[in-house]
Amino acid sequence: MDKLVLLVVLPLLAAFLMPVLARSSQVLARLSGLLVLLISITLVLNVWGEVDKQAISFAIGGYQPPLGVVFYIDQLSLLFALLIPVMVLIFWPWNRPSSIQEYSLMMLLTASASGLMLSGDLFNIYVFYELLAVASYGLVSVQVRQGQHPVVAWVASLRYLLLGSVGSVMMLLGIAIIYLQTGTLNLAQLSLLAPEALNNITGLSAFVLILVGLGVKAELFPVNTWVPEVYAGVSTRLSALMAGLLSKLAVIVIVRLLVLLFPQPEALHLMTVLGMLGVISGELVAWRAKDMTRMLAFSSIGQLGLVFIAFSLPGNIGLLAGFAIALHHLVVKPALFMLAGGWSGRLEKLSGMAQSSPYHVALFVLLAMSLLGVPPLPGFWVKLLLVMNLAVQTDPVYHFALAFMLLATVLEAAYLYRVVMLFYKKENHTHASSQHSLFDWITAIALAAVLLISVVQLPSVERKLVSMAYQSGNRLLYIHTVFANIGTPEARIDRMSPTDQAKQPLVSEPSIKEKAIKEDLVLGSAEQ
Amino acid sequence: MNMTGVEGIVLLGAIGLIMIGLAGLFMSNNVFRMVLALVILESGANLFLILAGFHGLGIAPIFLSNHAISDAGHMMNDPIPQALVLTAIVIGVGVQALALALILKIKAHYNTLDMSEIRQQMEYDLAKNNDVTLPASAQSPDSLVRSKVICQAEQTQPDHIQAKADVQQIGGSVNG
Repeated sequence: MDKLVLLVVLPLLAAFLMPVLARSSQVLARLSGLLVLLISITLVLNVWGEVDKQAISFAIGGYQPPLGVVFYIDQLSLLFALLIPVMVLIFWPWNRPSSIQEYSLMMLLTASASGLMLSGDLFNIYVFYELLAVASYGLVSVQVRQGQHPVVAWVASLRYLLLGSVGSVMMLLGIAIIYLQTGTLNLAQLSLLAPEALNNITGLSAFVLILVGLGVKAELFPVNTWVPEVYAGVSTRLSALMAGLLSKLAVIVIVRLLVLLFPQPEALHLMTVLGMLGVISGELVAWRAKDMTRMLAFSSIGQLGLVFIAFSLPGNIGLLAGFAIALHHLVVKPALFMLAGGWSGRLEKLSGMAQSSPYHVALFVLLAMSLLGVPPLPGFWVKLLLVMNLAVQTDPVYHFALAFMLLATVLEAAYLYRVVMLFYKKENHTHASSQHSLFDWITAIALAAVLLISVVQLPSVERKLVSMAYQSGNRLLYIHTVFANIGTPEARIDRMSPTDQAKQPLVSEPSIKEKAIKEDLVLGSAEQ
Repeated sequence: MNMTGVEGIVLLGAIGLIMIGLAGLFMSNNVFRMVLALVILESGANLFLILAGFHGLGIAPIFLSNHAISDAGHMMNDPIPQALVLTAIVIGVGVQALALALILKIKAHYNTLDMSEIRQQMEYDLAKNNDVTLPASAQSPDSLVRSKVICQAEQTQPDHIQAKADVQQIGGSVNG
């Protein structure tokens, strides 16, 4: 199992060795980056079957938790550990000559993103998040969009950096508050202590601070001002990577913390409200956008708002809906960005495009229909899941969320329909033509193929998502897995000071379901 | 947390630094000052984190023998927050250096450090390169600031201002 740490170590090594290697051989340096990505993918695929059965965890450097740093791997983190190298490989700057430093930053991005997904330690999450942020500031200022002056990207990068740094400081403050309350940073032990120590106003304020910090990357409502500037200034490949993958990583971390650390219903309500504001503001501005990239950037804010609403549903069903929407967006939005790469300029210029490049337009229509939720496509099923589960909630805030979501979908339909109408307008003397590079076109087709395959394979996709949601929504499983090597958490508490033991029962009022899961675990270990 | 007098003062100092930093970031319009405010904000957060593991009478862990740790654990300052702060300081310095490098580049091109001006010029450039008209909200505050921009930059970059005016004209005609 320990070899999974290579997912972080190898790209990190490559990031710093590539510029040195490039001094002797440019080709070797460039190939080494790709090689590391391929190794990462094989590593993940090797343990895929094993993690399907049960989650695993290992301590790094031989120090046992809660003092040592642990990696925790369940189906969720493994799926993203696979998606990170795959997406980086897809959105590698294939289409233009780039400097070795750019590749180096891409590797840094891979390393920190993998670390963010696998880490089971709050402070490690902070460090990897910062690394991810630094790598993306660098990439934003380097990968300038074609035809754009680089100064635009520098300004976008600076504004992103200022906002991101404030977010990071807020997150650090949140972590400091949690440490003050509990005296530990290990997620499993925090989860053990959370029902007692964090289920109060202090814990809630820590959650708000961390939410603001991670929300910068997750395009959460008040801290997403960087989105339109950055996505309009950088190359569409980087926009696709950021909108598709990086925003989801931050969301997944928020969800992980929400499940393990913050059991308050207020935390969920806060996420619903921010998600509602995000979805409505994003779609309203996208409706007014005058060029394709900006429209997609604002629409991505709206979609992320939808993800937040889904994750704010209580229980495993919220996780299921959230994963479904997030993964759907992860496939569709990058494909749309790839198509938008060849359609720069204002929307009116695209009039009559269907005559000159019918296949590109057809693909756009397909992706737009899935984004909207037209029945046979996956977008329909994820939205149906969300709508049905919002409707059965008794809490009125979810009914507001439902209304906002449907309104936003109408807006989305309005602007996407407008673009499609423009595409199919009859123009006698059209000069419109697509300028897609071959790589962009192939990427878009591949992502659309994934979308269509998931239509055919809908039952198995659903099974996978359900087991993923069940596994990642299980607090006790996390605790038991991390502390498996040193006995049960109860034993661990015995070894802690006697006062702590008196203060901290294992779980305050475990629900019937949690009890059942616990019994399952005990039975499972007895069988072994 | 039982606080002695010193800790109370330090806590107040940490919160004060955070407040000063946030106020500086939101109220200042000069990018360099914004970076400085960020530095203050980060030191406030770091001080707060240090305080999380600080005991009024504690000593640094390396000065304790093994025996002393088991005897009087409560006398030790918690080393974990100190390690965290060390990491946070290093990350902060790196990010601030990157910010300054970006500011230098931007200053060389736009010849201003004013955030709202930088942002407007960027919006113009973006709109020009994308061949779109600016949205009304981005256009409106321009009439207030433009006189300032021209006063400051007339001698240095007349052609750039001219380009800006051109874009505006295009925008106006399309809107009209």
